[in-house]
Amino acid sequence: MMRDKRWSRDHIAEITKYALSFAAVMLIGAVLIGIQGENPVTAIAAIFQGSLGSGKAIGNSIRWSIPCVLSGISAAVAFKSGVNNLGIEGQMYCGALCAAMVGYMIHLPAGIHVAVSILAGAVAGLLYALIPALMRMFLKINEMVVTLMMNYIAVLATEYITIRLISLSAVANPLSVETPVIDESAALPVLLAGTKANAGIFIAVLTVVVIAWVYKYTIKGYELKQVGENPHFSKIGGINVKKTFASIFLISGFIGGMCGAVEVTGAYKKFTASFAGTLGWDGIMIARIAKNKPFAVLVVSFLWGILKAGSLQMERVTNINRLTVTLIQAIFVLFITVDYEKVFELFSSRKKKRVAVEGGKAHV
Amino acid sequence: MASETILELKHITKRFGKLVANDDISFKLKRGTVHAIIGENGAGKSTLMNILTDIYKADSGDIYLNGEKVIFKDPMDACKHGIGMVYQEFMLFNSLTVLENIIMGFEKKKRGLIDTRANRKAVEEICNKYGFVLPLDACVKDLPVSLLQQVEIVKILYRGAEILILDEPTSILTPQGIEGLFKAIRFLVQSGKTVIFITHKLKEVLAIADAITVLRNGKLIADIRPEDANEEKLANLMVGRDVLLRVKKEEKKIGNPVLSVKNLSVKDSDGNVRVKDVNFEVRAGEIVGIAGVANSGQKELIESLYGLCIPEKGAEIYLEEKEITHFSCRERRCSGIGYVPQDRLHDGVNSGAELWESAIMGYHIAHGFKNSVMLDYDDINMFSKKIIEEYAVKTPNQHAIVGTLSGGNIQKLIVGREFSQENRLLIIEDPTRGIDIGAIEFIWKKIISLAASGVGILLVSHELNEVMELSDHILVMYNGKLYDGGHSGELTEEKIGYLMMGGAHDA
Repeated sequence: MMRDKRWSRDHIAEITKYALSFAAVMLIGAVLIGIQGENPVTAIAAIFQGSLGSGKAIGNSIRWSIPCVLSGISAAVAFKSGVNNLGIEGQMYCGALCAAMVGYMIHLPAGIHVAVSILAGAVAGLLYALIPALMRMFLKINEMVVTLMMNYIAVLATEYITIRLISLSAVANPLSVETPVIDESAALPVLLAGTKANAGIFIAVLTVVVIAWVYKYTIKGYELKQVGENPHFSKIGGINVKKTFASIFLISGFIGGMCGAVEVTGAYKKFTASFAGTLGWDGIMIARIAKNKPFAVLVVSFLWGILKAGSLQMERVTNINRLTVTLIQAIFVLFITVDYEKVFELFSSRKKKRVAVEGGKAHV
Repeated sequence: MASETILELKHITKRFGKLVANDDISFKLKRGTVHAIIGENGAGKSTLMNILTDIYKADSGDIYLNGEKVIFKDPMDACKHGIGMVYQEFMLFNSLTVLENIIMGFEKKKRGLIDTRANRKAVEEICNKYGFVLPLDACVKDLPVSLLQQVEIVKILYRGAEILILDEPTSILTPQGIEGLFKAIRFLVQSGKTVIFITHKLKEVLAIADAITVLRNGKLIADIRPEDANEEKLANLMVGRDVLLRVKKEEKKIGNPVLSVKNLSVKDSDGNVRVKDVNFEVRAGEIVGIAGVANSGQKELIESLYGLCIPEKGAEIYLEEKEITHFSCRERRCSGIGYVPQDRLHDGVNSGAELWESAIMGYHIAHGFKNSVMLDYDDINMFSKKIIEEYAVKTPNQHAIVGTLSGGNIQKLIVGREFSQENRLLIIEDPTRGIDIGAIEFIWKKIISLAASGVGILLVSHELNEVMELSDHILVMYNGKLYDGGHSGELTEEKIGYLMMGGAHDA
């Protein structure tokens, strides 16, 4: 009984928080768009048209949702167990390059080829995450800074390797250093003709389902959760915290690598240097908004995909820079990260104090 | 001459949601007296004091200071009005000196800079006036707790406190340290200060207080004078029923050693030797109690026994016949060692998660679940419910968030979890710290009946009373070494107190 009441109150507070944040962000967004000399309504209409307005638009939304889901769940898995893996971007790059190399260098039958390609990418991500994991385990080096820095290494190293692969003379345009196109057999099937919506979405959703299932129904999942929420308690309870911590790192890296591999085999068909933009960071933002809950990651990622697809359309039909949408997304994260209960308490206690002081004066 | 009543509370009420923490409480505080406020945990003592120091605002009711109504703006304002509090957990900066800690926030300044000389003079004056001897330039982290308490008292005197609130000040002291504190309190009172003394130890109340206020469930139950009271009467008032903190021990059979420790030395993380060549045994069915002043090496001893830190070379720890010196926590748990940690919120439970998650910790590895991969929710619910029922944990169900339970109920949950597994040895650390008499009695009885069933128990407690009441064999830890405190009842409390202070060294 008590529990239900508490819960529903919390739920309402939570929903209100998201709704208010969304409204506030929309307002700020409108102002930002207004400053750029465009009508906010036109811009938002363009976003919806570009993301949900036609079959092709929906295909684009799905296409952009895929990497969001994967990088989001990669981040959520890590954060849930207290691992600050900020290196998803780097793990993605390693995964993407490896998948592309397997895709065009090795020739295998269809079906097997794409699976091997994605698996190779995922393992590359895992191996890249192994470095900070080992540093953390044996040298007690904080993983946050290490993973952050290793992103830069990965971005530049993959570019360098790509140049070596295709030989420097072949780089016609220094702005797009890229590998040859992968074999047809290494590409994920397209779902909607004429779009880049591909079977990667099934991989992404399946990953989320598996992760959610592990947390809910397995002893390992229980241990992962406890280690994240209270490592001291877990250690005393007999959980091998170090090992758990490392395994989380590797799982997160594995999914990160898989995200890169799915991008290559599903959307781009080749590895291009610096292809991912902010995808790794999107994952971190998504996990933050979803409070590391697997199914919430799925929902938020679709929203993210819609915004991504829509913002491209908006840029085409208006004069607004699509970075405006990225900016709005970031502001949204900022809004929902605020602990409104604390803010509310602060204000209400101030108000009470003022009343008390005035009341006191009246008595004197 | 100021009026005799320095402080008066009138009809103070404070609610937290549905819970009424303070229900229409009124009392008068006489200048120059020691006023004890007693009550179980959750009786509303802390809330009342927090209202007095303006950490909380009362929902209704007034505070009169020297006959005038006052409304504090903030805790600082309460402090300026002469109300100061020494908290149970000291509020000191470890890496600063005593002097720096005392003047913190109230420095005397000259041209915007701290006037060290004036500050030192002011603090020295206070020390001289009230008879405290403090090493002003020593670093706080190097001082023993009894001195830290004096630092806290001098700190609030420096801030101009007329009313000193001491929250459970004796819980960390030896019998001798308590004597010293009482002397200081009497001196303060003679010099015109007023002391509010919060405690749940009845003997001390009778020894020091001039007036006693008893709280129960947020209500003021009685205002009595110590002349009219005795321990039993106070206990009845506090709990509302007959409780006497004596447990009856049954006749039982002591078996073979469960835990044997040989040549155990342990260094802390800074490389200081905290446990020095310790040897002892715990037998099946026996309760071995380790008494000692805080920081005598108990923490390191327990950590090495439970696998949380690595002992020095040459140490041997046996569980029955098996050597476990280099086992991990997990292996020790699987071999049948249970552990009730001192810091229950930090180490004992996952306070933000549901109750069952804390209830099955350890059980999920060592003693439960036929299936080692999947969570068995039937088994989880059964085990959680069993603990809730057998250990009288007050909670709506096993899905309640642990952090919302009271300290006593959380402790019952932890004790229930560790006692419900088929352990052969239990290491129990301060099992009743900060919980109410009802829960203490309950946990003590459980410990005794568990020992009677043949489990070996190592009890480490900073409450001497607890060690003396429960133990079959008493050991005293002082400066990393163990001294024999004899079998139950062999030595008096004073003798053991003497050992706790290093008495065996001098002898």
